[in-house]
Amino acid sequence: MNHTLHLQLSSSEGAVVRALGLIERRGYSLNSCTISVPDGTGRSMEVSVNSSRPADLLKRQLERLHDVYLVKLVPAGANEPQKSGIRSINSGLSDLT
Amino acid sequence: MKTSTQLAPELRSGSQILIEMLLRNGVTQIFGYPGGTIMPVYDALVGSGLKHYLFRHEQGAALAADAYGRVTRKAGVCMATSGPGATNLVTGIANAFMDSVPMVIITGQVPSALQGTDAFQEVDIFGITLPIVKHSYIVRDVAEIPRIVDEAFRLAEGGRPGPVLIDLPKDISAGVGTLVEATPEPSPPARTADDDALLAASGMLSAARRPLVIAGGGIAISDSVGVFRDFIARTGLPVTTTLKGLGVMPTDDPSFVGMLGMHGNGAANHAVQNCDLLMVVGARFDDRATGHLSQFAPSARIIHLDIDPAEISKLRKADVAVVGELAPALDAIRPENRARTTWVRQCASWKKEFAWRYDAPGSGIYAPKLLRDMSRAHPDGMVITCDVGQHQMWVAQHCHFDNPLEHISSGGLGTMGYGLPAAIGAKVARPDATVVCVSGDGSIMMNIQELATLKRYGLDVKILLLDNSALGLVRQWQELFFEGNYSEVHLDDNPDFAGVARAFGIQARSIREPEEAADALDWLFATEGAAMLHVSIDSMENVWPLVPPGKPNHKMMQANPVNGK
Repeated sequence: MNHTLHLQLSSSEGAVVRALGLIERRGYSLNSCTISVPDGTGRSMEVSVNSSRPADLLKRQLERLHDVYLVKLVPAGANEPQKSGIRSINSGLSDLT
Repeated sequence: MKTSTQLAPELRSGSQILIEMLLRNGVTQIFGYPGGTIMPVYDALVGSGLKHYLFRHEQGAALAADAYGRVTRKAGVCMATSGPGATNLVTGIANAFMDSVPMVIITGQVPSALQGTDAFQEVDIFGITLPIVKHSYIVRDVAEIPRIVDEAFRLAEGGRPGPVLIDLPKDISAGVGTLVEATPEPSPPARTADDDALLAASGMLSAARRPLVIAGGGIAISDSVGVFRDFIARTGLPVTTTLKGLGVMPTDDPSFVGMLGMHGNGAANHAVQNCDLLMVVGARFDDRATGHLSQFAPSARIIHLDIDPAEISKLRKADVAVVGELAPALDAIRPENRARTTWVRQCASWKKEFAWRYDAPGSGIYAPKLLRDMSRAHPDGMVITCDVGQHQMWVAQHCHFDNPLEHISSGGLGTMGYGLPAAIGAKVARPDATVVCVSGDGSIMMNIQELATLKRYGLDVKILLLDNSALGLVRQWQELFFEGNYSEVHLDDNPDFAGVARAFGIQARSIREPEEAADALDWLFATEGAAMLHVSIDSMENVWPLVPPGKPNHKMMQANPVNGK
């Protein structure tokens, strides 16, 4: 599934590599990436990624980075409810009553 | 501060500014190893008041800083030169990252003008460590040093702690400037959990028939042990812990069901698999704790408390996420009192059914019993640092912990070679504590050179070396899951460990008979200064129970199905 995220980063050394590295390391493959310097003080980045893992988890992982000021998910079509990353909850009856 | 360079009073070298900023951040002890590009910092170290511990390998310094950080909850500081010095720190940095340990790492770097030219001892340590640091810097201006050092400590110790690296090119450390006072940035407000989530958690707990708590390492990291114990006393909930949560509840507390997971206690694993609500506090659903994830706690709804929003629903979807500082959240969760006699009795019954046994067959020394006896002989507690392997699991299973800071173990990374440098770091942090390193014959050899560090500083660290002449846990897996096709696990050509220890000036004794064990343990702890007790054990001894790979936690193996051992 494709996700698009908008990031605002600091201009400090390594900020872009740190964010892009995290994206790939956490299981999201990069489709495209555009970097701009809107006001000369920071950087703005738009990335499109593909993964079976949910976009909101990647957003929270990127938000942990000290260099990253803001992460926004850019909605693509209908807002689908997010599922857990690797499995969804499995309910069943306990054998203990 | 005595240095080889004399400057005008208002001027200081980058290294002098760095040392001053370490002191201002409360650092008193650091761990490291000098070399080419870090020499200006070592020059400024002389007479600075900072106590430096010289290790014999940079990895030892980093792992000692890790243990120091765990014990003090303040960033342990390690330092090395560029190139191989820096890369030798990497395992220690990753160890701290995986277990959320506060650490500040200072690496020398080739001069800025030579960076990117494949200069002598140049590596991109900033790039190499990007995936295993909470944050990192390359210093580009002497004037930036105060801000960067202050920020590094704030980041390393704040929120979910972690390692922060400062790479210092030699032209900066040897450069000259004035100490520009950094404008202290206001600390971000403590993150408090959402009121609705706290209410939802209270409601879900009130309604649960078979609730269970998983206590993780985050409780100790956030200094929330007291609040957590109050919560358990108030609610009467049964508690299991992860490896890193051991000691959050005293081992003999009636509400403590045991450690869960691959080598967890049967009672804990059955409780997890049968509960209808799991309250997970400062833990992250590690695969060694959950077993097969899709079959983990199949009937349970999940309340997940963590300071890190990125842990929520990473592996198991949380029905209620309580994101914020643990202590106020635990205090605010107030479920209705509800008697759950059947469930509590069931947990107690499992505890009885799966209680550890010490009547193992065989004529040799039974390591679990030896560890239990050692632990029992120290009712006032001691700090046990572990290496990684069978002995690590036996420590977790059979030693008594009244406090999580008594158990220092490499959980996430599983670093063989951790135990000895960790014991040094722990002893430096807590000189009055009894510190024992429990190691194996595989692990001890990974950082055996640090016996020289023990001797150099006269540190009273005890070493209990369990020697099965094998890489025991790998051998056990080859026995069970690779049809006994043993591949590169036999270490029957080990050196004479007691002789090695003595060569380093450490007192040592070797035993192999059960009748010798009690007297030898007494000798180990009665001996003044560092000492090693080398214990030969059966090379075919296994760690039980074991949840086989790909199986749910209640499908534990209790013995080898072929030979019953």
